Amino acid sequence: MRVLLVEDDDLIAHGIQAGLRARGLMVDGVKTAAQAEAMQSAVHYQVVILDLGLPDEDGMSLLQRWRAGGMALPVLVLTARDAVEDRVAGLRAGADDYLLKPFDLDELVARLHALLRRAAGRSVAIIEQGALRLDPERGEVTLHGRPVVLSRRELALLAALLHARGRILSSDQLKDSLYGLSEEIESNALNVHIHHLRRKLGADLIETVRGVGYRFNRVDA
Amino acid sequence: MSLRLRLLLMIGVSLSLLWGGVAVWMLRDLDDEMRRTLDQRLAMSARMVAGLVSQNPAAWDTRSGTTGISTLTVPATAKGIACQVSSLRGEVFARTPGTTPAAIATTTPGFAEREIDGERWRSYTVEAYGLRITTADRLTERDTLLRDVMAAAIVPFVVALIGSLIMLWIGVRSGLVPLERLRQTLACRAPDALTPIPDAPMPRELRPLVDTLNQLLARMREAISRERRLTSDAAHELRTPLTALKTHLQVARITHGKDAETALDYAEEGASRLQHTLQQLLTLAQVEGPFSWDEAQRTDAGEVARLAMRDAAPNTSGRFVLVNDDPAVELALPQALAVTALRNLLDNALRHAPAEHPVSLEIQSTQDTVCFRVCDSGSGLSADELTRVTQRFWRRDAGRGSGLGLAIVVAITERCGGSLALAQRPTGGLEARLTLPRTKPVSSN
Repeated sequence: MRVLLVEDDDLIAHGIQAGLRARGLMVDGVKTAAQAEAMQSAVHYQVVILDLGLPDEDGMSLLQRWRAGGMALPVLVLTARDAVEDRVAGLRAGADDYLLKPFDLDELVARLHALLRRAAGRSVAIIEQGALRLDPERGEVTLHGRPVVLSRRELALLAALLHARGRILSSDQLKDSLYGLSEEIESNALNVHIHHLRRKLGADLIETVRGVGYRFNRVDA
Repeated sequence: MSLRLRLLLMIGVSLSLLWGGVAVWMLRDLDDEMRRTLDQRLAMSARMVAGLVSQNPAAWDTRSGTTGISTLTVPATAKGIACQVSSLRGEVFARTPGTTPAAIATTTPGFAEREIDGERWRSYTVEAYGLRITTADRLTERDTLLRDVMAAAIVPFVVALIGSLIMLWIGVRSGLVPLERLRQTLACRAPDALTPIPDAPMPRELRPLVDTLNQLLARMREAISRERRLTSDAAHELRTPLTALKTHLQVARITHGKDAETALDYAEEGASRLQHTLQQLLTLAQVEGPFSWDEAQRTDAGEVARLAMRDAAPNTSGRFVLVNDDPAVELALPQALAVTALRNLLDNALRHAPAEHPVSLEIQSTQDTVCFRVCDSGSGLSADELTRVTQRFWRRDAGRGSGLGLAIVVAITERCGGSLALAQRPTGGLEARLTLPRTKPVSSN
């Protein structure tokens, strides 16, 4: 899962980025509404964490503009304002969830996963595709009931493919969900991870659609 | 006691007493006047009879031999009045029926009152032309007449009094309607409601009351919303460093090695930011609250500058350029406050001036004041920022300072009678002039 973090306080931004990375999420941090808009349109994110007190623009109006422009990504608003009116205003502006500072890192991660799950139209945390089970929060994968050990990148790749629910994902989209902005990507890195996944879960699990991208195929039980 | 009852009692009782007094006075006058009038009529009747008799004295002449009593015919309605004509010797010539001559006649002229056969009579006797004429009224009749007259006079009085009292009740009731309406409006309000009282038409006397009440409510509303905003701001300011602290501590727990160490470093930074904000909030509460400082200590400007520079930059006080024309001048405020105010200005100057650039502090004293002038060579502030810079929690950059420094300086100047002026320097950077009151020099003689 790739997350866009919009937070102007350096100290907090560092903390959230370090915490989410340790929990296996890719995070890009930006400090202003302008940067957030640019990044959001350039990179394929799955979820946005938005602080309301931004230096150049109120987070709420950025969110409203995003929603008015048809931006459908789940947005979790992070704020130190705890008045009920603030929360209601945030949700009305198009926020999907609201978390009050100071928060618990595990709660933030759980909420991000819940947002993603709901955005994908599922109501339970665990993704099941035939004989394959993925618990994105714990990072556990089982195939035919037997646990499979995957690396962080492999897990992220599998989750991205599963979330797409049969849609074809381009290699750029897959790379976006695997790597942060600052990370150097070798040209065949994606192929290597796909190769590893196929080796661990079965060759016909990930189908290559020539010239377009990749698609997840159902594993029969 | 309600205002209405009070009014009713006061006006009602005084009205009744007044009317009652007037009635008693009038009745007494009426009584006297009636008696006098009746007496006059009695006397006039006697003289009239005497006059009539004198026109034909022969008829009454005893010497003509005509003796015997001639009885006057008196209508039954005139019962209770009597008349008798007799000679000076006592021979009765004529009298009204039912009256004993001996009884009614008196030998002395003028008014007399006697009891005859258990009834009281008032008589008047006149002697003329050798005749004695007596007229008399039975007092029972007189009393009846008096009572009738008095009753005729008193009934309208009583009716008028009762009428007045009813009018009074209605008048007071309707006169107090606006007051009652206001009472109901106030009674219907929630105890903590701060909305203004609705502007209904009301008498001139109530207007100032309602206006004052509404002004008070408006002031309270404003104070409460300011307080609420401040509390919310304070909560925000405390939550931000707390969030950083908590997040980094949690990161430190789930990471290892260098990552964990970095997280702990960040957590410490968050903790010191939290500490700084708390300290500033406490200082502000102290400056604004009813706390007292040690006033006995001598506060001289040179010492204040030295302490403030030391506090603002414990390691880099070499960045300050101090110009002091009169180091011994004494300030008329507690040293702790003066140092806090000046330190906050120096803090800001250091924060906004480019690194290694000097910050100048000049101390100029006048007759009554000491002015600390702090100049930096930073980017300064725009006109809009200058108006907002002393607001609480206002900051130009997130995460730098508590946003309370200048608010504290302003609070200190307000408490001690000084002033703070901020201005953009023509050469760039900000100039802050903190003016503080000076102790009055003790005159030498």
